[in-house]
Amino acid sequence: MWRRARSTPAGVVTGLCRRVVLLFCGIALWAIPGEAQRPLTVQGTRSLTFGSLLAGVNKSVLRTDLINSGQLDISGPKNVSVLLTFTLPATMAGPAGATLPLTFGSSDGGWSPPQQIGTQTGFDPRVPYTAPLDQNGKVSVFLGGTAKPTANQKAGSYTGTITLTVVVLP
Amino acid sequence: MKRQILSLAAVACLVGLTSTAAAQSNSGSITATALVQQPINVSGAVNLSFGNVFPGVNKAVLLTDAGAGRFDVTGQASTPVNLAFTALPTNLANGGNNLPVSFSSGYNTSNSAAGATSFAPGSGASTSLSGTGALFVFLGGTVSPAVNQAAGTYTATVTLQVTY
Repeated sequence: MWRRARSTPAGVVTGLCRRVVLLFCGIALWAIPGEAQRPLTVQGTRSLTFGSLLAGVNKSVLRTDLINSGQLDISGPKNVSVLLTFTLPATMAGPAGATLPLTFGSSDGGWSPPQQIGTQTGFDPRVPYTAPLDQNGKVSVFLGGTAKPTANQKAGSYTGTITLTVVVLP
Repeated sequence: MKRQILSLAAVACLVGLTSTAAAQSNSGSITATALVQQPINVSGAVNLSFGNVFPGVNKAVLLTDAGAGRFDVTGQASTPVNLAFTALPTNLANGGNNLPVSFSSGYNTSNSAAGATSFAPGSGASTSLSGTGALFVFLGGTVSPAVNQAAGTYTATVTLQVTY
């Protein structure tokens, strides 16, 4: 299959170089997965919704709440671990510069395979957390929290932005 | 030719090695939302006044009468509320003397008793605040003095509770 290199000094050198290059190529190809890595995407699919609040009355949303919990869907390489890092606001912004305190507890984060909100594994969204992407390269992340309007909270609509940064771990 | 093949192979290897070394990272966002409602404010705007009554003669004040009482309610526009009288006395009092009383009530989103929707004070009612967050609750009643009712001024307190 392989033609023998000529027995001249130049031929020996050329043959050695070719074998060395092919050896490295073999190592490199072994390191590359059998298919191109799927691109990592993070899609915010549902807002964290507290609904109507009364001044001075706290309101919590559970991460298992099918309607009001926040949800982000992650897609990427199959069967890898990803590092989840939330950027969580301490307040929501409202009318005329008013702010509404917002807190997150140690079990307000959760992840599960897609479409399985009821079988979540909880985690603390305040610190980075490692979760797996499944055999299809997917995972859903859920978020609950507590809004804490003050006794003299100004009426109106309040919003805040929650960002999830995902890194594929080696 | 061999050199070109070897160079291409080396480049391909480097590309492959580079692609495995780059870590993938991405981010996505959602919003947190809340709507803080206007607090409910209930004020006793007009007292229910029966005026002068005489022993043995009942006297009624209709919702549309000048003596009718009125509560003014403000809160979140177009929001459902529950009305309940948490203090609804059966007597007006003057020291140790009592004057039996009963009540009637109605609500309207405008300050007009004529168009009010009647409801039983003891049962309460559910309705909604107006588009500007207003509601008016009117109170009438009947006092039934005994034939030997002691003369004097009789009073009692009626309390309306409004909740979302």
